[in-house]
Amino acid sequence: MSKIRVEHLNFYYDDKQALSDVSIVIRERQITALIGPSGCGKSTFLRCLDRMNDTIPGTRIEGRVLLDGQDIYAPDTDVIDLRRRVGMVFQRPNPFPQSIFNNVAFGPRMLGMHRNASLDDIVEQSLRGAALWDEVKDDLNQDALSLSLGQQQRLCIARTIAVKPEVILMDEPCSALDPIATLEIEELMRTLKEDYSIVIVTHNMQQAARVSDWTGFFWLGELVEFGPTQQIFTSPSKKLTNDYITGRAG
Amino acid sequence: MPRETFDRELQRLQDEMLVLASMVESVITDSVEVLKQRDMEGSRRLIAHDRVINKKRYQLEADCLVAIATQQPMASDLRILAAILNITSELERIGDYAKGIARINLMIGEGPLLKPLIDVPLMAEKARDMLHQALDAFVQRDVELARRIPNQDDEVDRLYDQVYRELIDYIIADQSNTEQANYLLWVAHNLERAADRVTNICERVIFTVTGQIVELDVDNSGLISLS
Repeated sequence: MSKIRVEHLNFYYDDKQALSDVSIVIRERQITALIGPSGCGKSTFLRCLDRMNDTIPGTRIEGRVLLDGQDIYAPDTDVIDLRRRVGMVFQRPNPFPQSIFNNVAFGPRMLGMHRNASLDDIVEQSLRGAALWDEVKDDLNQDALSLSLGQQQRLCIARTIAVKPEVILMDEPCSALDPIATLEIEELMRTLKEDYSIVIVTHNMQQAARVSDWTGFFWLGELVEFGPTQQIFTSPSKKLTNDYITGRAG
Repeated sequence: MPRETFDRELQRLQDEMLVLASMVESVITDSVEVLKQRDMEGSRRLIAHDRVINKKRYQLEADCLVAIATQQPMASDLRILAAILNITSELERIGDYAKGIARINLMIGEGPLLKPLIDVPLMAEKARDMLHQALDAFVQRDVELARRIPNQDDEVDRLYDQVYRELIDYIIADQSNTEQANYLLWVAHNLERAADRVTNICERVIFTVTGQIVELDVDNSGLISLS
C-alpha cells in the first residue's frame, strides 16, 4: 500500500535542474533505500518529501508529492504538521545540548504537552522504540552530548518518533558511525518499519541491500531504476544500475 | 576503472574455470580411449589425474569465496561468481564419471572386450562436444546457444538405449557375458550422466546472463526468477 506517491517531480536550484521527472511510490511500513553517486539528487529528493527545500532561496518544484493522497505542496498544507508526520534523521547526530529527557520531550512539548505522567511515558516509549532505553534509563538527566555517536543517533531517532510521525526520512544516518553502531541502527530500522514507513538515503550499497525492501537508483537527477531490493542487487534491469552497483560507474 | 583489481580477479577465475573445463573435456574421451585400447596404465594415470581436477576445483571454490567475502560483489559480478561455484562443481562430477570409467577398465581387466566399442566412443565424443559448447556459451554469454545445447542430449540418450539393448542381447546370448556387460553398461551410464551435467551448466550460463534459474529439461516450465 502506498504511503507517498511522487508524480513527475522536477526540482530546480535557480536555473539548474536537480531532479527530472521523478515518479516513485513509497510503500507503507516498508524501507525504501535511495542510492546513487554524490550529486545525483537523492538527498534533494528526500528533502522534497517533507518540504525541507522550501527554506533554500531560489528553489522551485514541479509535479506532485502525495502523502496519503494529499498533495503536500498544496497551498493549504500546514508545513509544521507535515514535518510532524514526516520526520527526518540527519547524517550526523544532532542532539540538543540538553538532557536526554529534554531532547526526546522537545517535540511533544512543542505540540503543547507539558511534563506529566504521559510525557514521561512518551519519552520512555520513544527511547524504547529507538532501542536506547536500557542504556540510559538510569540517568535521563544526563547530557545528551555525553553519549556515544551511535547512542546520539538513536536518541535523534527517539526524538523523531516522539511526535508519532508516519514516515521517517533518513539521510545517511550511519555515515558518522562505527560498524557496530551502524548495525544497531540497521537492526532498529527493521523494528521501526513495523510502525513507520522509512526512506533512507545511503552511499553504502551493502547497507541498502541489507536493510531495505525497495531500492531506487538515481543518476544525474533521474530515477534510473526502482524495484525490489533483491532484484536491484542481483539482476538489475538497466545496464547503468548494474555498472553502478558493481562499482563500474559513478 | 574503479574496480580494476577485482575485474582482473573475476577474469582470472573465469579463465581458471575454462582450464578446468578443458581438463575435464579431455578425460571424458581419454577414459573411453583407454577402455577401448585395454590400457591399464592409462587408466591408473587418469585416476591419479582426477585428484588434480578435484584440487583445482577446490582452489577455485576457495578463491570465489574469498572474492565474495572481500569484494562484496553484486548483480552481474555476483552472478558470475555464483555460476563459477556451480559450474566447477558440475565439472568435478563429470571428471568423477570419467574416473569411474577408468576404474571400470581396471575391473574388467586385461582380457578382450565382449564387443568392439562403437557407440560408447560416440557418446563420449558427444558429451565432450556438448561440454565444449556449453563453455563457449558461457564465454560468449550466449543464452540462445545455452538453451539449444541440451537438445543434443537426446542423441546421447539414443546411443545409450542402443548400447543397453545390445548388451542385453549379449547377456541373453551367453550368461557368462553378464559381468562385463554390466560394467560396460555402467560406462554408458556414466557418459549419459556427464551429458546431463552439461545441461546443468547451460542453466548456469542462462543464470549468469539473465539472473533467472531455468530448468532446461522440463520444458522451461520450472522458471525461477531471483527477484
